[in-house]
Amino acid sequence: MNLYQTLLLILIFLPVAAAVLVACLGPARAQLVRQISLLASVAGAVIALVIAIGFISNRDHAKQIHRFEPMFVPGNTTDAPHATTWNLIDLNMGSEASKDKNAPKLGAIQFFVGVDGLNIWLVVLTAILMVSSILISWNAIDERVHEFHAWLFVLNFGMVGVFLAFDIILFYVFFELTLVPLFFLIGIWGGPERRYAARKFFIYTLAGSVLTFLGLLAVVVVCYQQAVPHELTFSIPELVTRFNHLLESAPASERAFYASFQFWVFLAMMAGFAIKVPLFPVHTWLPLAHVEAPTAGSVLLAGVLLKMGTYGFMRLCLPLAPDASITVGVPVIGTLSVIGILYGAFCARAQDDIKKLVAYSSVSHLGFCTLGMFALNSAGLTGSLMQMINHGLSTGALFLIVGMIYERYHTRMIGDYGGLGSKLKVISFCMVFVSLSSVGLPGLNGFVGEALIFFGMYDLRPVLAILGTGGIILGAWYLMSMLRQVFFGELKEPDTHGHEVHDINAREVAALAPLLVLCLLLGVYPQPVLNSVKPDIEVVERIVQKRIDNMNTKVADGR
Amino acid sequence: MPSTYLWMILALPLLATVIIATVGRKLFPSKCHLPCVAGAVGACVFAVLTLIAVLQSDTGAVETGRDVVWINAGKMTANISLRADGLTAIMLVMVTFIGSLIAIYAAGYMHGDPGYPRFFAAVSGFLFFMLGLVLVNNFILLYACWEGVGLCSYLLIGFWFAKPSAAAAARKAFLVTRLGDIGLFIGILILWQNFGHSLEYDVVFINVKEQYDAHTLDPNLLFWACFCLFVGAAGKSAQFPLHVWLPDAMEGPSPVSALIHAATMVTAGVYLVARCTPLFGLSPNAQMLVAIIGGFTALLAAVIAVTQTDLKRVLAYSTLSQLGYMFLALGSGLGEQKLASLAVMAAIFHLFTHAFFKALLFLGAGSVMHAMHNVIDMREFGGLRKSLPITHWTFLCGAAALAGFPLLSGFWSKDEVLATTYGAWQHGHGAQPIVYGVLFFSALFTAGLTAFYTFRAYFMTFWGDEKLPHGVEHPHESPAIMAWPLRILAVGALLVGVVLGPTHLFQKVIDETWVIQAFPHLQGAHHPNWALMAGSSVIALAGIGLAYLFYVKQPSLADPAITLPSLYDLSQAKFYFDELYELTIVKPMTIFAHVCRIVDAYLLDGVVDLLGQIPAFLGFLVRPVQNGLVQFYALLMALGMAGFALSVLMR
Repeated sequence: MNLYQTLLLILIFLPVAAAVLVACLGPARAQLVRQISLLASVAGAVIALVIAIGFISNRDHAKQIHRFEPMFVPGNTTDAPHATTWNLIDLNMGSEASKDKNAPKLGAIQFFVGVDGLNIWLVVLTAILMVSSILISWNAIDERVHEFHAWLFVLNFGMVGVFLAFDIILFYVFFELTLVPLFFLIGIWGGPERRYAARKFFIYTLAGSVLTFLGLLAVVVVCYQQAVPHELTFSIPELVTRFNHLLESAPASERAFYASFQFWVFLAMMAGFAIKVPLFPVHTWLPLAHVEAPTAGSVLLAGVLLKMGTYGFMRLCLPLAPDASITVGVPVIGTLSVIGILYGAFCARAQDDIKKLVAYSSVSHLGFCTLGMFALNSAGLTGSLMQMINHGLSTGALFLIVGMIYERYHTRMIGDYGGLGSKLKVISFCMVFVSLSSVGLPGLNGFVGEALIFFGMYDLRPVLAILGTGGIILGAWYLMSMLRQVFFGELKEPDTHGHEVHDINAREVAALAPLLVLCLLLGVYPQPVLNSVKPDIEVVERIVQKRIDNMNTKVADGR
Repeated sequence: MPSTYLWMILALPLLATVIIATVGRKLFPSKCHLPCVAGAVGACVFAVLTLIAVLQSDTGAVETGRDVVWINAGKMTANISLRADGLTAIMLVMVTFIGSLIAIYAAGYMHGDPGYPRFFAAVSGFLFFMLGLVLVNNFILLYACWEGVGLCSYLLIGFWFAKPSAAAAARKAFLVTRLGDIGLFIGILILWQNFGHSLEYDVVFINVKEQYDAHTLDPNLLFWACFCLFVGAAGKSAQFPLHVWLPDAMEGPSPVSALIHAATMVTAGVYLVARCTPLFGLSPNAQMLVAIIGGFTALLAAVIAVTQTDLKRVLAYSTLSQLGYMFLALGSGLGEQKLASLAVMAAIFHLFTHAFFKALLFLGAGSVMHAMHNVIDMREFGGLRKSLPITHWTFLCGAAALAGFPLLSGFWSKDEVLATTYGAWQHGHGAQPIVYGVLFFSALFTAGLTAFYTFRAYFMTFWGDEKLPHGVEHPHESPAIMAWPLRILAVGALLVGVVLGPTHLFQKVIDETWVIQAFPHLQGAHHPNWALMAGSSVIALAGIGLAYLFYVKQPSLADPAITLPSLYDLSQAKFYFDELYELTIVKPMTIFAHVCRIVDAYLLDGVVDLLGQIPAFLGFLVRPVQNGLVQFYALLMALGMAGFALSVLMR
């Protein structure tokens, strides 16, 4: 096993170890718990960065690949560097290995993890946001500190696992695993309505993802049944390749079956992923969960957990239901995305709670994400992936700043504030900076993603792209209005009951600065990241584009 | 290496920003103007070198390679590449020269302000983006710089952010110009998709030209592309109906008004339309739109300026009006009639001279404010020509140039604009003669108004009995660091026109502009029109004379009750545009936002909660079955077994 495979395993299991350790430390040693947590999260971030650097340097990004090729897969062999031999549940166990070549082969649910262009930056994002989350909870959380951090690390384990998993069952397990820790994080350390919010979040997203699981299983089963000889596999790269091969080679008589099959699979996957994203109109759990969650929970929820939905679309939905993505996805999700962009922005404008404003801005921004995704071309997909990262950085930072202000004044009502710029100079600067990143100012990260999304979408459906540009002005509208009210004008502070309020401290700088630096870096020089995701984005693009060509020729034949 | 000059022009202001923002702020807060001035002056030197290099080069341009990639994914590629031709070189020289003078002036003006480093960091940043805007060689970088100058404008209008009016003005400016920016962005999308999936100026222009020559160009498509670009231009250059932000932007410090909101940033829209002459020149409808909007804005703003009492606002409306002139010229450059070259020349020449005299006027107004302790309402002071002699004389030079006083710079450039519109009137086809004829006379009338309101402001401020606002005892002239930029600009306001205009020097530089060279059919000859010059001289002098009559000789005549009262009120209320937009756009959108909020909280979430009740409801339905009576369970069991047995037997 080489260095990177080891690091990858450490990256996944370090949070588990940390969770167990801090849980064992007990409630008495809060400070030690915080220190150990910080150490573990920093270690995680460093490892993630090392893996990312290794990924960039070890892979030929100019080379075209034809299927998902995860790297640094633990348990791979020299024959199959992009697959694993580590079985979790071997379905062949107990049955005699048949000598007959045509006998059905049962596969195994495997511990199949690795990095590729689609997931590497999301993993890095997760690791960095973990550090910020722990730093921001330092003083904000003072009850059951050990439990809080243990749940945080369990969440970390789930999030990293979802992105890294290349086994479809493993993916689903991690996908659902994230629900549990967040349920407790919101339900125990949340605001006044935390129980209702936690329950709603849990049930709503679970209801959707159960359907997703059905969809995923259906693909597995169809791939098994239709292949000659029958062979069962849970490997995502393998499923994608096989399923598309089936689509390619399907005789005319079976085309109708595949069309309707894909339709149902698409709907099933959409149920889970769309709620997770969240797409309009199934977003209502999000503002509630955000408002009630502790700051760290909001940061991770907005920064990472929502991306599991968009990531799911990109990794599974487009490649496994390409025809339905074209015929149903583009009109339906494209339209819902545009509505979400505009509607989320209007809702954000009308909020009087800053945190709720940021929550609705997420609805709007994630609309951009899905809009770019269903442009179905490289520009749009890359923009979508960039937008996932950008939104994680800028919205994560927004929640951090809102948390900082809340910690000082214990209110989040916009109307309670005014002119903080005269008093909290550095915090205000950061807020303006992050807002500008969020509204997509060129030179900061937001622009790169949004521009690519619009260029991509304009090439496919100009009208959707043009309608979507409304989000550019509406985003500026609600954020600039909030800035004017809270940070500019005459100073108006809520009553602090005699506590003196200070500007940002070193711990908060450490939580925030990495995000701001990355915002600037990704805005000024995004190309290394864009290059690193290119081959994998093109895999998805080619799958879908091939189906579009196929449809076009069929239409031409029909004439 | 001439292409190094281009990088240096950008690098110096950027470096200045970085120095001020990182070390300057802490180490030498009261000397933060030094990096800014040094950056601007350095850039100015390189701009002049660039101009010389452009004139000497065979291709008429200096450019860098195109191998640095900023963003690339799929078919979207944005390179970082720079290019300077005649048009760019003129803009570079103008921006850096005016910028240097204003930076020096600001060192005196902003002295002692707690935000001193922040101010100069933002000004340097602005120069960086503004110079980038004219230097870049593709649409997407143009858009990036376009937004960049908007950001700096936002930061500088809101410089005194603790003042609610400044915070409001900053937000308004950002939002209104961003509305225009969306237009620009959509325009770029249209061009990119239809003309070769490229963002490079030359590829797009050549593709358009080829399609035009092959008669495959959809005129509607080109019109909409031009329309969208023009929406962007109108937002940035504050043309009707997106003009409402510029007067409010005067909340910023006066040097900012002079630099950003008079001389440079607001001319970006003019630059964009001039740069895209190969597109507009092929779309007569788009050109007519540009001309109408420009001519209308010129007239509208001039009418408003006549009744304003805030000196800076008079100048702001005057800026709108003069920008309208520039668009009028560009819109009159009918490609088919070989007027395009003349039009670009006229518009950019007016842009160039305007930068001098308008910057001068704003700095003069700043100097007045400085002496009047930040009072800028002209009704509060008067007769200042004795106490502020330098300000007075320099302001007079600027006012005369703006009014189009014969042989001063404004006279020459305004004459070019009028001549272009006259040409379009004479040579146009179809509806063009009527439209351009009306626009020509409207522009003449506007010229008269311009002379009138400019000298109205001048006389109200500097003539009559000395009158000082409350609390000002001894007005003192500005220090030398502010006076010298005024003097230099005054010389410019007097002379740039005569030096560059009748000598055809300006024409020579503009002819080095690549878009015009590459599209020879757009070239046209330049012939002076003596009758027009004489006519506009008379109109300018008449305007000045009327202002003298109304505000010095017989002030009672200026009573609004005597002059058209209803028009006077309308003009003073700026035609109620702010109120109109508030009522028709801002209010409905805010109400809609609250409707969305309610719909979200009650309707959408309500449905979800309702669905959540279904399991509970189902449970409620079957709950009676679990009634705890053993007999009932036994009965059910018996019935069940009977049913089962029956179904087995019946099979």
